[in-house]
Amino acid sequence: MNYNWRRRDFLKKTSAATLAAMAAGAPMSGFLGSCSSKDKIKSSADTVILLYMAGGMAHTETFDPKKYTPFRKGMESKEVLSTFPSVPTALDGIQFSEGLENIGQVMDRGTLIRSYVAADLGHILHTRHQYHWHTCYEPPQSVAVPHMGSWMAKELGPVNPVIPPFINIGQRFTVGEGEELKAFHSAGFLGSEYGPFLIPDPTSGLDSVRPPVGMSSKRFEARNQLYERLVQESAMGEFGSDYQKESLKRSMEQAYRLLNSPEAKAFDLSQEPKEKYDVYNTGKFGLGCLMAKRLTEQGARFISVTSEYEPFVGWDTHENGHTRLVDMKKLIDAPIAQLVKDLDESGRLDRTMIIVASEFSRDMLTEGRPGAKVKDQVEVPDIIDDMKNYGMHRHFTDGCSILMFGGGTKRGHVYGKTADERPCKSIEKPIKIAALHQTIYHALGIHPETNYEIEKRPFYTTPDGEGEAELDLLA
Amino acid sequence: MKFRRTDIFWLTAVVLLCVGLGDGLLAAGLQEAAEGNEPFWLWKFMGRLHPLAVHFPVSLLLFAALLELFTLKNFNHKLRPGIDLLVWAGVAGAVLSASLGWILATVEDYGGSILDVHQWTGIATAIIGLLLIYFLRKTDEGRNLPAVKAFRSVLFVSAIGVSVAGHFGASLTHGEDYLTSTFPWTEEEYAPEDLKVDLVAFEGEGDLSEQKQIELVGKVRAVFAHNCYKCHSDAKIKGELRLDEKDYVFTGGESGPVIVPGESDRSELVRRIKLPKDHKESMPSKGKVLSSDEIALISLWVDRGAPWPDAASEVSEYRVAELAPRRPNVPAPREGLAQPIDIWVDEYFQENSIAWKEPVDDKTYLRRIYLDIIGLLPSPEEYAAFQKDTRPNKRAAWVETLLNRNDDYATHWMTFWNDALRNDYTGTGYITKGRFAITDWLYTSIRDNKPYDQFVKQLLNPTEESKGFIEGIRWRGDVNASQVTEMQAAQNVGQVILGLNLKCASCHDSFVSDWKLEEAYAFANIFADTTLEVSRCEKPIGKKASTKILWEELGEIDSTANRKEKLKQLADNLVQPANGRMYRTIVNRIWKQLMGRGLVEPADEMDNIPWSQDLLDWLATDFEDSGYDLKQLIYKIATSNAYQQPSVGIDDPLLLTDDDFVFKGVVRRRLTAEQFSDGVSKYIHPIFEKEALKYDPNELAVSEEASMPFARASLVANNDFLKALGRPNREVVSTNRDSQASLLQALELTNGKTLNEALQDGAQKWKEKYEDGDIIIHETYRKLLGRDPHQSEFNVAMEVLGEDPSPDAIQDLFWAVLLLPEFQLIY
Repeated sequence: MNYNWRRRDFLKKTSAATLAAMAAGAPMSGFLGSCSSKDKIKSSADTVILLYMAGGMAHTETFDPKKYTPFRKGMESKEVLSTFPSVPTALDGIQFSEGLENIGQVMDRGTLIRSYVAADLGHILHTRHQYHWHTCYEPPQSVAVPHMGSWMAKELGPVNPVIPPFINIGQRFTVGEGEELKAFHSAGFLGSEYGPFLIPDPTSGLDSVRPPVGMSSKRFEARNQLYERLVQESAMGEFGSDYQKESLKRSMEQAYRLLNSPEAKAFDLSQEPKEKYDVYNTGKFGLGCLMAKRLTEQGARFISVTSEYEPFVGWDTHENGHTRLVDMKKLIDAPIAQLVKDLDESGRLDRTMIIVASEFSRDMLTEGRPGAKVKDQVEVPDIIDDMKNYGMHRHFTDGCSILMFGGGTKRGHVYGKTADERPCKSIEKPIKIAALHQTIYHALGIHPETNYEIEKRPFYTTPDGEGEAELDLLA
Repeated sequence: MKFRRTDIFWLTAVVLLCVGLGDGLLAAGLQEAAEGNEPFWLWKFMGRLHPLAVHFPVSLLLFAALLELFTLKNFNHKLRPGIDLLVWAGVAGAVLSASLGWILATVEDYGGSILDVHQWTGIATAIIGLLLIYFLRKTDEGRNLPAVKAFRSVLFVSAIGVSVAGHFGASLTHGEDYLTSTFPWTEEEYAPEDLKVDLVAFEGEGDLSEQKQIELVGKVRAVFAHNCYKCHSDAKIKGELRLDEKDYVFTGGESGPVIVPGESDRSELVRRIKLPKDHKESMPSKGKVLSSDEIALISLWVDRGAPWPDAASEVSEYRVAELAPRRPNVPAPREGLAQPIDIWVDEYFQENSIAWKEPVDDKTYLRRIYLDIIGLLPSPEEYAAFQKDTRPNKRAAWVETLLNRNDDYATHWMTFWNDALRNDYTGTGYITKGRFAITDWLYTSIRDNKPYDQFVKQLLNPTEESKGFIEGIRWRGDVNASQVTEMQAAQNVGQVILGLNLKCASCHDSFVSDWKLEEAYAFANIFADTTLEVSRCEKPIGKKASTKILWEELGEIDSTANRKEKLKQLADNLVQPANGRMYRTIVNRIWKQLMGRGLVEPADEMDNIPWSQDLLDWLATDFEDSGYDLKQLIYKIATSNAYQQPSVGIDDPLLLTDDDFVFKGVVRRRLTAEQFSDGVSKYIHPIFEKEALKYDPNELAVSEEASMPFARASLVANNDFLKALGRPNREVVSTNRDSQASLLQALELTNGKTLNEALQDGAQKWKEKYEDGDIIIHETYRKLLGRDPHQSEFNVAMEVLGEDPSPDAIQDLFWAVLLLPEFQLIY
């Protein structure tokens, strides 16, 4: 590992981190006790970057294309499997949908899963499936459930003590289903210490880690000094140590250190050379990828960059599926490919796992899955006359694609398969969320039986510790 | 040093021979293990010779190394022939025991990291041993000096090697801490406090009396319950073994009986709980190993014939609190202590040899009661008036005044009740009408000090306005059987109203209490239109439960009645005085709100032991006598001497829920998000615009106060600022706020927009109003901390502000003072 902070800095920071970890180790509530795990797992990753395709990304239109049927008036809905032609990738015999050429070209550095099967949760609600994807638990639950990033933050702590261990980039919570989104962007019972550091908009990400708007760094420095001196002079000194006071002081120090550290520049995208910035700059998502790259360079633990969920926007195509996807591919193709390349070239990809995923897929006809169809939410005419009906508009849970790069995943590997004819469902090596989570935790060296006792019940990273790490995905 | 061809040939031959032998054996052993057959007896026998064989190389090589020290000056010392012999025998022993060890590891179920270390150090030692022989032969009776040096180095290395391998081997059989556990400074890894068993009482000649037998098996069942039920009970039946009922225990599992009464040596269960943690067959396979006390207890029980009288099964292995109310007689008043609360605490103090301290000063007391009763900081004027008040009963009088500020009181307690009843102004489920707010009902109920029995009745048998609590949250789609809204209601009523955890039992028979799956369903059926089908761990079992309250003593529910009628019966039955548990639960919660720690902790687990049963019981029955008057309860606690003791700091939040917790006074807490915000809003600048109010009590027709001077935080929707400061997502009921600061919180306070803007606006306002630095510093301290700054504080602040401070400087002073522990803590 060759992060670019100096050893002395690091030592200074680690001692602070140890203190922080001690504070953090003291759980927020008494009925929370940690487990003991038997064997240590050798980790293959330090950092995880989740690139989330919010709203349901159709596998047949992206990483698992089927027979292309061009648009023509009067065509039958049922004949449409893909609305784009296929293009070759760096892997022999593996094709992607048109518009994803750049990602295709780096596919020899990663693993393509073509057989993810999402849960059956009845009448579909995106945020409910997203909750399930990110926490591995189906809502509602009787205790507050932690996000996967919070588990990592709790179990592994930060990589670099000044960079928050769980950073969430790109999601606003003022959109429709905002409250539902909030429900899983949470550390749950692990305590707010492990919650997400939210950066709704990467272009103003720096605002989150610099002194308040309008405050010079000199004034910021002076303000902090004033605080520290007043703490010293304060009458509270007589009360001796107790954890609230100590944790308060410590967290203030940490915040000050982050806001004042050179690493905070990782949040400043303007520091990036223009040529590189331009490659990434396909929009908010692309810039999120750039920020993820910069944060990884400074030592981040878990970063989630989302294309942002907003009902009927982005990947949530209830109509105009084809035309919308042209834009969505433009949004993700270059930055994802560039992120893989940049991290690979700097050698960081070896210990950084990039995951590209979505809560479920889409299909033109099937809502839910074959055999367990659920209430339709989109009218799909049998005959398509209008371009707006050309696309994958229903929610499909039985076959989705996931990409994984680095962090110990195989290079140039394809896992699982979906049928070439409708329903294009997983027919080989179906993999579910619990196994996926356990695989990621395994790569990070988090034991599958990691659990906390909450309200007298053991609460595992996956329900009852279910799901086995799929070692076939790892090198 | 020169190598001769013959030497190399010789060495290679030996190595190959050994490797070949080992491989052959391994292959054979492996094959059998892989096929899952019982390994050939000879391999097993040879494998088990390993622990015997290992002692030779360890002692021989160590001794050889020791003797070698005497020959350092003269290689051809008279000890030489003996040393050579020791080396030869030691190496032979090392090779042999490495091979035997390999067999042992292969044919029997060892595993884990210790095994790996042991295995490879063992093999390495054997190989190094061969090298040793090689150099020994090369020494040429001391004439080949380099070879002598090599020989000696290798000898010492192998001596260390066998020792290390031996150590790890011992760790494998005896457990990692076999040696270190004898050190006085090594803490027991797991020694449950509640296992206070005097084993001696069960030893000795003759049969145990039935009473003794019941007692003994009770202890054993408690160990099973806490350590084994997770995988061996109704919920999960691993290896076809259940340990939760007598018949199952003696039937055993897939490999036959696990207990041979009278013979712990031959009992599979005893064998496996004694195995070291790394052993594949070690039990419990997940989590902590049993403590030596627990193992001794179970062994003793088996040796005494594993007695299990049928009557034992009626005794619970869990502590169950009394349901009925209890009215302890209050001891006679004593000097200076007239309040029953204080008399009970005095009893407790005497038992625990704790001395009363001087009550806190006026300023501390006033701040406490303001924050605890109405959630606001006293103003400088109020501090002054209180100080000037000379009435002997002024503290009680001020508490009463605060309790009479109905709207302020209600607004403050909304925070607590919203969390507990998961009532939110926005929130999950509203998008699909899966949730109902009870805000209007809740606010008016608190403000009007609705008697608690009525309060509960209206929650359980609700009107449109109060139905949200039992209607729960309905997400779109299909939900788990244990999370249907009827079951949510059963769980939440259990947790919040009854201090009872039904969450386990709503999925399977609980293994942390006696509650059974069917009892949870029977309770949930009260909230259902029809009768729910019972599911165990999400699988329907083709059965329906009856319709019952958890305790028969509280009366019956007519299972044929409609929901409305069932709910009415439930409400009437639960609130009757006979339900002492419900009233203990609420008085404990209120005590906790004011004292920082309940008499029972966690406050949701009322079967736990209170630190004073008498006080808890007295509070609950007194509450009943007062007509379930929450304000009176708060009044009594807030005016007690116990409440007025100096606050106690806790160094580790875990101590708060510790069974050994000792009450000495109010436990220091942090301000809630709402108290912090209101402090800023009241004295510096409103943090929230009036428009942010999600609930405006002034819109109630019967509101008393004309308007609020600022939007109080408990009435606005949750937002990043409040969330960072600890206001929970009200997805699940929450009866406890995290008191610990975090980085995200500090960041929000340090550069978050919400606070920064309020302070900026406030600074502007103050500049216009006060102008002068001197005044501003004094006013800041007086308003936020209730006191004047000390000279040293004043000087520090003055350095930054100067005579004519800029708004920026004023803002920075606000900020620094707000972040002081003195502001942020309730002390």
